[in-house]
Amino acid sequence: MEVLQLILNGLMAGTVLAVPAIGLTAIFAVLRFTNFALASHMTIGAFAGFIANTTFGLPIVPALAAAFVVAGIIGWMSDEFVLRPLRASGFVTTAIGSIALTIALENFVRFGFGNQMRGYDLPLRRDWVISGLRVSPQQFENLLIAIVVVAMLFAFLSMTRTGKAMRAVADNPMLASIKGINSDMVARLVSFIAMGLAGLGGMLSGLDTTIDPLVGFRTILSVFAAAVVGGLGSIPGAVVGALVIGVGEELSLLVLTPAYRTAVGFIAILLVLTFRPRGILGQRAY
Amino acid sequence: MEHYLVAMGVTAGIYALMALGMNVIWGMAGLINLGLVGFFAVGAYTSGILTLKFGWPILAGIAAGTLVASLFGVFVALITVRLRGDYLAIVTLGFAETMRIIMSNELWIANGTDGLSGIPGPFRQALGPHAFNLQFLAIVIVAVAILFVLLQRLTRSPFGRVLRGIREDEQVVQVAGKNVVMFKVKAFAVGTAALGLSGALYGHFTSYIAPDLFAPLLTLYIKLSLLSGGLGNNVGAVVGAVLVVFFLESTRFVIPYVPELSAVQGAALREILIAVALLLILRIRARGLIPEKVGDFPLPEPTRASQPLKP
Amino acid sequence: MKGLNRRKVLKLAAATAAVGTMPVRAYAQAEPLRVGILTPLTGAGGNDGPRMLKAMQAVFEEVNKAGGVLGRRIETVVEDDQTNPEAAVRAARKLIEVNKVPVILGTWASAVTAAVAPVCWESKTFLMTVSGADTITLLPHQGFLIRTQPNSKLQATSHGEFVASLGSKRVAVIGIQAPFALPTKEHLDTLLKAKGGAVVSHVIYEKDKTTYRSEIDQAMRSNPDFLYLNGYAPDTVVLLRDLYRANINLGKFCQSYAVPQATLDTMPPEVSEGVMTGQPSADVESTAYRSACARLGVKEIDGYEAQATDWASLTVLTIAKAKEASGVALKENVRKISQGSGEKVYNAIDGLKAIAAGKEINYEGASGPCDFTDIGDISGCRFRYMKVAKGKLEFLKLV
Repeated sequence: MEVLQLILNGLMAGTVLAVPAIGLTAIFAVLRFTNFALASHMTIGAFAGFIANTTFGLPIVPALAAAFVVAGIIGWMSDEFVLRPLRASGFVTTAIGSIALTIALENFVRFGFGNQMRGYDLPLRRDWVISGLRVSPQQFENLLIAIVVVAMLFAFLSMTRTGKAMRAVADNPMLASIKGINSDMVARLVSFIAMGLAGLGGMLSGLDTTIDPLVGFRTILSVFAAAVVGGLGSIPGAVVGALVIGVGEELSLLVLTPAYRTAVGFIAILLVLTFRPRGILGQRAY
Repeated sequence: MEHYLVAMGVTAGIYALMALGMNVIWGMAGLINLGLVGFFAVGAYTSGILTLKFGWPILAGIAAGTLVASLFGVFVALITVRLRGDYLAIVTLGFAETMRIIMSNELWIANGTDGLSGIPGPFRQALGPHAFNLQFLAIVIVAVAILFVLLQRLTRSPFGRVLRGIREDEQVVQVAGKNVVMFKVKAFAVGTAALGLSGALYGHFTSYIAPDLFAPLLTLYIKLSLLSGGLGNNVGAVVGAVLVVFFLESTRFVIPYVPELSAVQGAALREILIAVALLLILRIRARGLIPEKVGDFPLPEPTRASQPLKP
Repeated sequence: MKGLNRRKVLKLAAATAAVGTMPVRAYAQAEPLRVGILTPLTGAGGNDGPRMLKAMQAVFEEVNKAGGVLGRRIETVVEDDQTNPEAAVRAARKLIEVNKVPVILGTWASAVTAAVAPVCWESKTFLMTVSGADTITLLPHQGFLIRTQPNSKLQATSHGEFVASLGSKRVAVIGIQAPFALPTKEHLDTLLKAKGGAVVSHVIYEKDKTTYRSEIDQAMRSNPDFLYLNGYAPDTVVLLRDLYRANINLGKFCQSYAVPQATLDTMPPEVSEGVMTGQPSADVESTAYRSACARLGVKEIDGYEAQATDWASLTVLTIAKAKEASGVALKENVRKISQGSGEKVYNAIDGLKAIAAGKEINYEGASGPCDFTDIGDISGCRFRYMKVAKGKLEFLKLV
């Protein structure tokens, strides 16, 4: 019973990581670098959702949409004006540049909103108890949101022209450009969608915790870890990776104190990568 | 003011030691090590514990710190030898975080989150703070100079050429009959030794170390030092480290002149300025202020090998 | 509400700046007296630093309006410690060597204080802090450090007595990994055992997690009748939310700095309902506490704001008493105005008047009597206990 509850808790913790991890992995699939600016876009999404919710009185779903759109637009702009010019100097420079970018954006948020903690004006629901196991409705919805997001992304990638173009770029940028696919457009689109997902993830994380300029910073390491474990560039991999990290950290409590959770997460990563150096599902981009 | 500049000079020197060490692993061999601060911590803790709890002489402590950090480097290199690019990045990052968590939780090693206070510094009492800092500046400059000369020779040696070869194309080096694994391990050993040295020196300089010190932020500063100075190039590493400390510190003096700011806004603006300055350098001088000169190698693209995307 | 606050702060800053540029009164020609403030404005402590800063600046502003100290206007030099020991040490060196401040106020994280303290004592600069780690005052600081936060023994003993007085016997401690974690638990346990209770489980968790469900489950397995949450604001909020979700309705005690009113306002009221908290405090009707509340325009100040108020007042009064603004003067004179048989004063202005009139004074602060031991700990204080009802902190009792 204890183990079952731990696994459930891990799944619930993992769902919070899944959505931003999809964003990270999508950018990697198309643009071939790890965009750490995801952290500040999570924060931006959390704040956008906060304003939509408290200033404009919107309920949770429209607030989530606002988080997606605002973070997406800023993600597209920051990629266009800051990161794209860096890409010519290599993927590593771009990745490190994205850390500098995330510090700048985090502090723009701090400049405007200060450090004080905030919370959404949304009621908190008690857990459902199903045959002795507790499940949080909020986190169950998070899981549904993650599933819906993955399904929509799949539909988009496999059924629409643009989606197919994105896949082509992810698979073989050279060939895609020969075929006349506008890779700049694809880059803009993936930045918008991925950072939008980061914003969505930021707001979901803010629902469980607090909203302050550190929302993204607190979770970015786990999100990065989730994407890597699942296999960078693989969208289902990001979801699987997030759940593996979540459950792995919880199961470690059977033998270790909670103060070692993150360390156990990293050991899990090392184990996974020892057997699969490119992550669990790191073979395909979709 | 001059005393402040001396203290910042020591900081810049310690950053430069780290940047030089990272340059071997990342700049030359193209291996992404995000766990820099973990090796820095190993050096600092080893020397701190040995001198403080076991009464070792400072010099012996520093030597041990350097050596133990290097051994950890070999260990990490061996367990990550199959990984490249971002996969290596996350594991090394995990190493640093794990070190920090262990040092926080295992109180018996070095007091946990309380940290280790009163680490001895050479002639600290006798000299007083100002002369001590000046002396330490001399020590750090000598250390940077020695390491610089050694690494310059290493860069031009066959060993350095093989490392750059691994950076450009691991398979070619393999085909050429070189033991790639061995070279990677050696690169880690040399680089992490420098990181350990800088950590040990830092502990003896400030007299206090704690797990909170070893946050990923420091790793970022050194990465940015290398990129802005010029990756793969020892002069660039030193110049970049000085530049980063200059940005970190000079921004303090600019902020008070911006009117109508609250303190938090001032602090936020300072971090924005630092980030923007570094982004501008990356943008304008794509290969750093002083680009790599040895040969004419394009920048490493370590993520290439991690592209598994087959249709 | 928040916007209004920010505007107020801006106005305050503008007013301070305006005072600064006006060639006024007695201190027209004198060099301003610079006081260093080193407090977290970014990073994990960023939620608390600005509150402390505001409380200090409010006191200094009041003193400046009343003519300053030693005929000099007080000018604060503020640096951000980034909640990081390495960055904090660089900032402290700047304050000491460039601004030549005699005193640094406001370090928060214990690791930051322990890192900055040697820089301070070596260059004979006085340091006042809120850091709770017991080891801080045990450093060889030669008297150049005082802290207004009670050490973990004082805190845990008082908290333990309070918890025991509620009739709780089996207390589960859930705390963040920090220097005060273990000592607090041990002192609580000692006290509870003397009263026939015990700490039945002690779960130490990691910061920055989005959920602490399993930690709570682990604590609940020991079947406690009371929960003692020993963390900071961000993680305490997560714990309280998870406790509410899990429908656990035990009595809960949180640290006062984790649940100031501003933090409570971020949660639905049902989540924080019944949370109890305690902070070092002056007497109930203490004018020091009330005037600090009035100065900041709030109904109740939290423990950090109270302590920050006291640092500023102690600094001003000690400099006035010593007739000299140096670290050594602060070190040698702070206890001459903070304790002893002098006339009790409750704020900086009254204290300055009394000193000017040649009287001996004993400053009684907003966070307590501010009497310091030789190593810089407070020798004792009262604790103000409060309970949250409908999202608001309500006074319970003073012990």
